[in-house]
Amino acid sequence: MNIDHHEGFQRMIDESLAAAISAEKEQSLREHLATCVPCQEYLSASNRVIAGLGGFSFEVNPTLNARVLVALKLHHTGTMRQHNVQFKVWAAFAVALSMSFVGSALVYQVAKLLTVPMYFDAAQVQAGVLVFWLLPSFCSALRLLAAPGENRGIA
Amino acid sequence: MESDTQRIALGLRQRDVAVLETLVEQYQYRLVRYLVSLLGRRDGVDDFVQETWLRVLERGESYDGHSRFEPWLFRVARNIALDAMRKRPMFSLDTNEEDGVRTSPASGEPSPYTLAARTEDAERLADSLQTLEPVYREALVLRFQEDLSLQDISVIVGAPVSTVASRIYRGLATLRPQFEGEIT
Repeated sequence: MNIDHHEGFQRMIDESLAAAISAEKEQSLREHLATCVPCQEYLSASNRVIAGLGGFSFEVNPTLNARVLVALKLHHTGTMRQHNVQFKVWAAFAVALSMSFVGSALVYQVAKLLTVPMYFDAAQVQAGVLVFWLLPSFCSALRLLAAPGENRGIA
Repeated sequence: MESDTQRIALGLRQRDVAVLETLVEQYQYRLVRYLVSLLGRRDGVDDFVQETWLRVLERGESYDGHSRFEPWLFRVARNIALDAMRKRPMFSLDTNEEDGVRTSPASGEPSPYTLAARTEDAERLADSLQTLEPVYREALVLRFQEDLSLQDISVIVGAPVSTVASRIYRGLATLRPQFEGEIT
């Protein structure tokens, strides 16, 4: 039996150990191993390596689990708080925005009633509502989103 | 019926701390063992473990529950460790010709493998394991200690299955001489 022949089977042993071998090759390997001492030695040494790998037991710091769990809870609480703040800010923005539009519509209606006695025309009323009511209130609503979390006065 | 992996995925999506507590209890030792095999040292591993679980909490929704949890967890841990190695030279690592890392054991200190060896065979392997290329050590640990398939390992290390198999063969070839000539 030549060296190449053994090398082929030893390669099959590696493949078998790594679970990367076909059933046919496995059968052929078994038959070869039954009679080949060098390949038996090769398999035995490989199995010793694998058994040796299982012979290590690492110390785990007894406080590690507790430390990890505390970190997880703190992180989780912080994240939830942040989500809450974000939700409140968006809710406040939505309320402010709708109040701006509703308020503007009301002001517009009232101003329209005053156009005749006060000699305004409709375009002047529209511009006035837009410049002195809608835009300022819209900007105030936007400021809610732009302010840093702690300064929003909501959380 | 809901499988374990789907329950885990649901818990992670909901950021359920109780699910995470169970996972920490279940996988902590394996995570430590894997990170030691990757880094070749024990110090600093606890920080990586903590960072890994925080990342799991933050990005748990990316685990789909269709595959095993361990490969996903180990991949998260691996990414964190490799990022830290690239940023922090304190780990004294050099990149090798593949994508792996090479550990320079601190002089004078016993290696984590020497300290962790509990059997005669393990004692004989300890020194060789410490100096083994981390990519080979990692492949051996994932295959023979974590009992993961080549496909799972391939997902963790981000390399083709053939590369993983080749790393296992080369790792075995490096360690095998310790036991050659002894039939048991």
